[in-house]
Amino acid sequence: MQTINVLTSAFHRAAARKRMIVFYWFFHTLCAALAALPVLGIAIPQLSHSDYGAELMKQFDIAAIAELISTAGEAGSPAGIAILLSALLALAGATFLAGGCVKLLVRDEVPYSPAEFWEGCGRYFWRFLRLALYFLVPYLLLLALHSGLIRAIAKHYEPGIVELPVIYANRTVRVLILLLAGLTATAADLAKVHLVVTDSRKSLRAFLGSLRLVITRPMTVFPVWLLLALLLSAATALYLAAMHRLGILLILFLAQQIYIFFRILLRMTSWAAAAEIDTLLRPLPPEPVPVPVPVASEPPAFEAGAQQDFTI
Amino acid sequence: MLRIAALFAAAALGAHAQSAPFAKPVASYDIQAALDAKSHTITGQETLTWLNDSPDTVPALRFHLYMNAFRSTQSTFFRESGGQLRGDQFKGDDWGYIKVRSMRLQGGADLTSAIRFIQPDDNNADDRTVIEVALPQPVKPGETIRLDIAFTTKLPMIFARTGFHGDHHLVGQWFPKIGVWETAGFRYSTAGAWNCHQFHANSEFFANYGDYRVNLTVPTNYVIGATGEQTRRTDDKGKGTSTYTFEQRSVTDFAWTAQPSYLREERLFQADRETTAAEVAAAAKLHGIPEADVRLSDVRMIALVQPEHREQTERHFRSLRAALKGFGLAYGRYPFKTITVVDPPYGAGGAGGMEYPTFITAGTTYHLPEDSLLLEMVTVHEFGHQFWMQLVASNEFEESWLDEGFNTYSTGAIMDRVFGPSTLPFMFYGRNLWSDLKLPRISQESADRAIHLITPRRDDLVRRAWEYYDGSSYSASSYSRTGVTLRTMEALLGKDTMDRVMRTYHQRWRFRHPTSRDFQKVVNEVSGRNMDWFFDQFVFGKRKLDYAVGTVICDRVNTARGFLGADDALKLVTKKTADGTDDKQDKDKNFKPEYASTVKLERRGDAVVPVDIVIRFTDGHVHRSTWDGVYRWHKLKFQRRAEVESVVIDPQHKYQLDASYANNSWRKDYNSRLSASWGSAFLFWFQNLLLTLTAIA
Ligand SMILES: [Zn+2]
Repeated sequence: MQTINVLTSAFHRAAARKRMIVFYWFFHTLCAALAALPVLGIAIPQLSHSDYGAELMKQFDIAAIAELISTAGEAGSPAGIAILLSALLALAGATFLAGGCVKLLVRDEVPYSPAEFWEGCGRYFWRFLRLALYFLVPYLLLLALHSGLIRAIAKHYEPGIVELPVIYANRTVRVLILLLAGLTATAADLAKVHLVVTDSRKSLRAFLGSLRLVITRPMTVFPVWLLLALLLSAATALYLAAMHRLGILLILFLAQQIYIFFRILLRMTSWAAAAEIDTLLRPLPPEPVPVPVPVASEPPAFEAGAQQDFTI
Repeated sequence: MLRIAALFAAAALGAHAQSAPFAKPVASYDIQAALDAKSHTITGQETLTWLNDSPDTVPALRFHLYMNAFRSTQSTFFRESGGQLRGDQFKGDDWGYIKVRSMRLQGGADLTSAIRFIQPDDNNADDRTVIEVALPQPVKPGETIRLDIAFTTKLPMIFARTGFHGDHHLVGQWFPKIGVWETAGFRYSTAGAWNCHQFHANSEFFANYGDYRVNLTVPTNYVIGATGEQTRRTDDKGKGTSTYTFEQRSVTDFAWTAQPSYLREERLFQADRETTAAEVAAAAKLHGIPEADVRLSDVRMIALVQPEHREQTERHFRSLRAALKGFGLAYGRYPFKTITVVDPPYGAGGAGGMEYPTFITAGTTYHLPEDSLLLEMVTVHEFGHQFWMQLVASNEFEESWLDEGFNTYSTGAIMDRVFGPSTLPFMFYGRNLWSDLKLPRISQESADRAIHLITPRRDDLVRRAWEYYDGSSYSASSYSRTGVTLRTMEALLGKDTMDRVMRTYHQRWRFRHPTSRDFQKVVNEVSGRNMDWFFDQFVFGKRKLDYAVGTVICDRVNTARGFLGADDALKLVTKKTADGTDDKQDKDKNFKPEYASTVKLERRGDAVVPVDIVIRFTDGHVHRSTWDGVYRWHKLKFQRRAEVESVVIDPQHKYQLDASYANNSWRKDYNSRLSASWGSAFLFWFQNLLLTLTAIA
């Protein structure tokens, strides 16, 4: 029940930030175009005035890919470089934008304004970048664990002549790794949220704290991730089922972009959900209760006694 | 009575006769072999009957001892392959070897001490895959000798075709096998000599025909399969072993397998059920032969399948049926009574996809989806080697295109016709993502062309198997590029002519040993055309074929201006009058301007072939011509009241060898649908990739 409540509330928060979603979409689309254009620049000029292009539209032939690669020649490497650059740009840009997004998703009482958004992007960029680098460690460990386990399974069953146990063992490993990756991703979201909520610069502390949180409270954290993953799978299945029935190109294009928007909405929802969980699991210390005696460390402006304090 | 019955039987056989039903035995073997399943060692004794079928006097004998390829890292096979073949790696210390314990001429001398290792191909002194044995007396022309040879074969771990894995044994290239004596005029030979190559990474087969009788002793709990027909079985309860006798006439090799847990299934290929009268009649008509010569015979199909592939058993038989029928109707009936297909287990993939006479290995994976036709493709291909390797025994060492490539061409035709294009098995939790993502299915034809295009042309199509630039050049040339080359030839000659070429070549050389030049002769003879230019460029050469539409220019023709006419009757046409004639204003749009069109075609490769050209104009007019393709470019000029709408070179894609189909045509209209559709698709996939990537940011 708690999971559903968290998700519903998070979904509403995310859905309310429409301009932010559009902006996030626009940035990713820009990076995707940067990668796609050089590849299209090889394919389209060759095919747009050729009968072969029309033939491929009717029935695609895998040999056409080999033909494009073999005839691309020197145009091939700039296309590869463009893809790499767009990936780097997307990574850096997404880290930057995450600051603004998380800031506005954490506090739903703050109305969206470009100034608020950009302020968040700038304020949290370096902390989020450090955080992303810290989180590379568990992701790389998971990759290593995955290949290590797969290799160990292969070695263990190497003398045997049946494949079935290998397949099941590999499937189990993949599920395990996927779940651990899900927990890591949730920890990353929680860490970002915590940095914003506490307005702290301590990325390492947030990284370790969030990892500890997902390990100690998996039953609060994990179902949210699982539901989000299920929603993404369902959307993917729906898109795959529909894509070949959408005859008109414009409709297909719209369906594709709706799918992308939905993915972004889920991304935002997962941040908003992390904010909800953070409030649940790590409530901030209560606001200091006003006490009759002034606290020495408070700047006691405009008070004569304070003046005296400074002169002692 | 008996004599009359025998006459009837002979007449019935004669009615079915096409080429000789069996070969003249040159090298026949009678082998006793016992497998020690624990040490994976075979103790063998063979009697070789060898006929000197030449006018030469042969002073010494040569033998293949191929299991020594797996003896150490020093063998030529290991040095060439680097201990890995077709993606399988040699691991551990399970090496293999073959030792000749003794060799003796029946009723004559002991030759054991005369054995010496030789390395005719590469002088690698550490390679022990070929021996020469000097004879005390040379073998006279037409003389038959018998040798008793005792040998021990230790099987290696399976990574390259042969060996053991767990209790699975696939035993190929395992006994001392005599080379081929080539007299002058036989194949490329100019003087009598042995053709007995060392064992190389990429080639294994060249041998004379002979009759085999092999007794195999294995533990009784083992299920076995082998070349030929099983004619006897005796059990030794005391020792817990069984001895199986397999016999087969007119083959070039013998292989066998043993594994306790095989599922052994049998089906009958019933020729008159599998083929229709119309199919037989059509083939008879095409080749101008009696229907009796086309009719196929019944064949016992045996499958040895892994228990975990039980549900795929029928797929093996379906593939064998398609192959027996397809190859049989096209090239002549399969003359043997059995065909055995082996499904190697998990971990023994290196033994899969291999051909031996009447005995082949396929290969599959757990729950291979029905729409992934890898099992079918491998089974049909390996069966195809019964025709290209076994029945027509060309030299795989020296001209691998004649078996692997011909087989790629033949298999492709059957696969694309009977089974259609295939998915690739991208399995994810029991689902094939290739199907779920509805990725385009792949036909054999397009797979071959893709490999041809992507693999640099570094070698002539035909070279000795170990002399290609590298492994990928060997395999692209020997398989896919040959497939594409033969399909190109088919398009040039016409399907029917090509079918006649292939059948004639097969029938003429069945149970014999042809060369590339023999095939070339058949092509020229049957097609009635001199196709030497084709062979020179694409078989014995590596020319690049690429014709392209260069530029197309359509200029509006304006009325001539200036002083026109003869000197004594000059007429000035001014700009104004000319413009009037050209009707530049053309308010009512009725005026049809004239265009001077220039179409420039280019030859961008070094291959020279004649190409068909089709040029369409906006008024519906079509120009067709043929360009001999000799000079670097070819210019066509037209003056018509219509512009050029499209230009196409080789409109039917006859030349599958062409390096680019894209540049073969030009059309005036810009294909905006293509740009929009590919543009949106690429954008979408990159958006998804980047969103996945930035999910960790
Ligand atoms: Zn083959």
